[in-house]
Amino acid sequence: MNNIVEMRDIRKEFPGVVACDDITFQVKKGEIHALLGENGAGKSTLMNILFGLYQPDQGDIYLRGEKANIANPNIANDLGIGMVHQHFKLVHNFTVTENIILGLEPTRHFMINKKTASARIAELSKRYSLNVNPDSIISDVSVGMQQRVEILKMLYRDAEILIFDEPTAVLTPQEVRELMKIMRGLIDEGKTIILITHKLREIMAIASRCTVIRRGSVVGTVNVADTTEEKLAEMMVGRTVLFDVEKGEGKPGKEMLQIEKLTVEGTGGGHGLKDFSLTVRCGEILGLAGVDGNGQSELVEAIIGLRRANDGRVLIGGQNVTALSVRDRIQIGMAHIPEDRHKHGLILDYTVQENLILKNYFTEPFSRKGILDWNYIYGHAERVIRDFDIRAGEGAHATARSLSGGNQQKAIVGREIDGNPDLLVAVQPTRGLDVGAIEYIHKRLVEQRDQGKAVLLISLELDEILDLSDRIAVIFNGELVGIVNVDDADENMIGLMMAGGKKEVSA
Amino acid sequence: MKTRVRVKKDFTMSLFAVLLGMLAGALLMLVTGSNPIENFYYLFRGGLMNIERIGNTLATATPLIFAGLSVAFAFKTGLFNIGGAGQMLIGGLCATAIGLTFSWPKPILLTVIVLASLFGGALWGALPGVLKARFNVHEVVSTIMMNWIAYWSVFYIVPQYFKGPFLETESQRIPEAASLKIPWLTSLFSGSYINLGIFLAVVCVVIISIILERTTLGYELKAVGYNRDAASAAGINVNRNIVLSMAIAGALAGLGGATFYVGFASNMQIGVLPSQGFDGIAVALLGANSPWGALAAAIFFGLLHTGKGFMSAMTVTPPEISDTIIATIIYFAATSVLIERNWNRIKQYSPVALYKKVRPGGVDSTAGGEQ
Amino acid sequence: MRKWLALFMIVCFLFALVGCGDDAPPPAADDDENGDVVDEAELRVGMVTDAGTIDDKSFNQGTWEGVQMAARDFGLETRYLQPGGTTEADYITEIGNLVDAGFMFIVCPGFKFETAIYDVQDRYPDAKFVLIDGYPHAGDWDPVVKENVVSIFFTEHESGFLAGLATALQLGEGEVGFIGGMEIPPVQKFSWGFQQGVLYANENYDTNIVMQAENFIYEGTFENVAAGQQLAAAMFDKGVDAIFAAAGGVGIGAINEAKARAAAGEEVWIVGVDVDQYDEGIYETGKSIILTSAMKYIDVATYDMIQAELDGTFPGGEILTFNAGNYGIGIPRENPNLDPEVVELVDEAFKAMQDGTLVVSDEQGDLFR
Repeated sequence: MNNIVEMRDIRKEFPGVVACDDITFQVKKGEIHALLGENGAGKSTLMNILFGLYQPDQGDIYLRGEKANIANPNIANDLGIGMVHQHFKLVHNFTVTENIILGLEPTRHFMINKKTASARIAELSKRYSLNVNPDSIISDVSVGMQQRVEILKMLYRDAEILIFDEPTAVLTPQEVRELMKIMRGLIDEGKTIILITHKLREIMAIASRCTVIRRGSVVGTVNVADTTEEKLAEMMVGRTVLFDVEKGEGKPGKEMLQIEKLTVEGTGGGHGLKDFSLTVRCGEILGLAGVDGNGQSELVEAIIGLRRANDGRVLIGGQNVTALSVRDRIQIGMAHIPEDRHKHGLILDYTVQENLILKNYFTEPFSRKGILDWNYIYGHAERVIRDFDIRAGEGAHATARSLSGGNQQKAIVGREIDGNPDLLVAVQPTRGLDVGAIEYIHKRLVEQRDQGKAVLLISLELDEILDLSDRIAVIFNGELVGIVNVDDADENMIGLMMAGGKKEVSA
Repeated sequence: MKTRVRVKKDFTMSLFAVLLGMLAGALLMLVTGSNPIENFYYLFRGGLMNIERIGNTLATATPLIFAGLSVAFAFKTGLFNIGGAGQMLIGGLCATAIGLTFSWPKPILLTVIVLASLFGGALWGALPGVLKARFNVHEVVSTIMMNWIAYWSVFYIVPQYFKGPFLETESQRIPEAASLKIPWLTSLFSGSYINLGIFLAVVCVVIISIILERTTLGYELKAVGYNRDAASAAGINVNRNIVLSMAIAGALAGLGGATFYVGFASNMQIGVLPSQGFDGIAVALLGANSPWGALAAAIFFGLLHTGKGFMSAMTVTPPEISDTIIATIIYFAATSVLIERNWNRIKQYSPVALYKKVRPGGVDSTAGGEQ
Repeated sequence: MRKWLALFMIVCFLFALVGCGDDAPPPAADDDENGDVVDEAELRVGMVTDAGTIDDKSFNQGTWEGVQMAARDFGLETRYLQPGGTTEADYITEIGNLVDAGFMFIVCPGFKFETAIYDVQDRYPDAKFVLIDGYPHAGDWDPVVKENVVSIFFTEHESGFLAGLATALQLGEGEVGFIGGMEIPPVQKFSWGFQQGVLYANENYDTNIVMQAENFIYEGTFENVAAGQQLAAAMFDKGVDAIFAAAGGVGIGAINEAKARAAAGEEVWIVGVDVDQYDEGIYETGKSIILTSAMKYIDVATYDMIQAELDGTFPGGEILTFNAGNYGIGIPRENPNLDPEVVELVDEAFKAMQDGTLVVSDEQGDLFR
């Protein structure tokens, strides 16, 4: 019996959904075990049960062969289980040491003894080559470093079983490589790692075994050495996945979005825009590439009407909209898939049907003389849910909050495309989504292009830009570096331009 | 549109909160050495034992309904209206001023009084709304300040213009024609202070629930309340909605002021912030921020307030302890939010769940497909 | 969901059942034979408090002490209730609660009960009411005192006069101020009487006491202790030596401020009100900053009314005035902070009031507010 963790027949229901449907899951001591599944498949729920945040409706958990009752995270800690959450739980104006000892401060005569703790943290950091300075303030260190503080937190509490929830989502490629090195180091020291992810490449790179979960059930557990990315993807999604986007020749038509010498102010130290000009035509996808924080947010806000232009103009369909409100622009034919779907895309406490009318609730037939027609709205929602394959436990009446990330995004895409816009501004439309959802959204964006709509795609993922765009514009420091045709572009060239290297190619 | 399930859940939650509150109250009674059963018996009897007391319960509840509705409405739109007390004062001041100045026929006078208190309260609510929209001043701070502006305005205006011949501290008595009390209603409830305000309150509950559930206005207001950023990205004018929401909340509290000062009471006293303005927060919490919930919660609180004195009179519980008991019940009742958060755990240990657990092969439909 | 509702109903029902089965210790309120249950010998005396608490160290407390005194002497059951607000409706509610609970003799301290008593004297003809500092009227100040009501007034101006005189004589030289609660007749009369007393001393006994309009202030409530402290602090800072605080809880704030200053070595005084507040003013050294108190013998008046009811001589329908003539007002018998000569002179003035040679006005005239 070398299973350090064994979860048997775990079942967990939430109103309208079965998050875990009799899942049995075993982890061997000293392995990196990946838990793969689409968003909403139930992997986070399963791990939250293991960590004591949820109680299973049924099923048992065995740790080191003994039955365990994990009623809360404190018990999980005592049993040697640690978890690095996707969103770090750190106090920003505390030092590394203070954050790590939070909750189990070593005291002497009621005074917190930070020195002892600090020394121990330094020693741990050295042993696992984490390279963390115990005295740094959290707000001063990088995201990658913060993650290592979270890892140290677990190690400080003598955790043996480490759960990583989507650890690479917030890291740069370089930081990802570092993390993997750290994880291998942890294994060498006898720890066991459970890695929650939907990124196939990472599993192939680091995990020894992988359990795939789909819609609350285990599809299977495989040795990573015996499988391929394609096979894993198929297990996860339930069908063959196309990694490349199928896309025919574009037929660019008249100019839909024209940005002329636009200058706006930046916020919070970010770059504004300086003399920025760009044109998006009907029937094309224009990809805007750039490192985060180079003026993309300001550009989007200026286009949709949330930010005032200091100088220059924005035209939609030839009409000057610079001074128009958001609503006016929407009515002219602008649609927007926002970068942050929770913040800007959805009203999470509204139901799906309410979210689907967010931009046209005031028009007939959704409402007449200020009175909403719920019957019509419900029918409309049912249709969009069907057309866009939005999966929600209670259908049109489910709150947006209860939907998985992918389905939330589908709801947004459904709402925006269903309005039949002429211009679609899509910002990071696949951020945080799983393979199946990404594929779906990409298909829809291309479909829009093929229907003769203008699509402005703003993304930080170079792959996405290269896959989808007809033309690629690069932004750096609030200025347009250049525009290239996708056929003339490659990763290196765009990468150079993103770093500010001028490459004047007219398109 | 709220689903039925959700409403039902809120209702259960609030009911549970009330039970918990009463349990806590009972504990306090035991600790202070009185008999909880006897106390509760007289508490409810005091609020319900005859038609007059039922009328008084409703009359006490009336301003609470408005205050609760005001807080709940603002809360639905993401704003925390602590200014109920001040808005009530201003509404009451407008009502009192008109009632003492004009001697029109009762129907006209009452209509004008209601409208004036509505607009007065609306203005008092809209001001913090404008400050929030334009300068991002937090409404909690500005509404509290508006409370004191109202307090001192009344302090100055009433003695200056509306005082009686001998008293510096209260207005003249409201003339019969300007009072929301009407003879047939008073005699129907055998001399209770019940007044037209209760009907006005029910009408407002209906209107507000229609606004919130059925109109584009309510849709917009709630959208802004739940997620300001998403609302503005969707083209909703957030600032306009903040001002509007606060104005409506203020108008409701203003109406509550009218029902209190020219309905329940018969003149206006200076130097008092009406406690109903703050109790409205508890009413809204217990009522799960729904208009009908606020109505029910306010009547429950009205019952407690009305029955409290009788409880003290019939038992050895001193009035200060009764106040504490009532406050405890209200406090616990207002924690339905906490109960909601821990609902699943509570359900696990509920008698029903325990019963299901011990009974093998339960007929529960959800467990039917197992194995 | 339905199960919870059922549970709730059951609990409510249980309360009701047990309550009904219970032989309620006090006789049930709506008993038709109310009169039989409460016979004359067991008079049950109730009191409803005015704004402020039962231990307000002045008006409510004075009344309640009178009730308690009578309860001790005659073996009565007593109870007080505290209204939820200060509107007429709140007062009537509590009076109704007392009546329903069988307390048929009810003492109400404060002018705010005037319209409430007007209402309940007809509503509860079997109950007796004592209204202190006011008379029943319909809101038009036209007195309507029914047979079951006695209305009691005190000559606060006389009491204030004596306190003012005592203060002036004791200080000899200095400045005095006044903090009132609400600007209502009894408090105003205290102030006007106090001012007349000081002026009388200045004219007849060569004292040199300064009074300035800005130091005659009404706080506006009887509850705001903090405000009382602040007002007192401001006055002391301006050089006032003694403050007459006729302000309930606000006065307590003034007393606290004076105690703090006296403890720090400053010589400041407060003149108490309604009851002998000497004990309230005692600070660390064991001395008190209460120079004297302008008293209304509320407790005595209350006691007398209860006794009269027991004797069958309840003066229903009358408006009584308690003044120097019938020893209804005065300064305390013991005044540790006053010199014997001062007490003597004050006694002289008291006697002059009694025989009518000294008349104190109860109107503002040329005096400060």
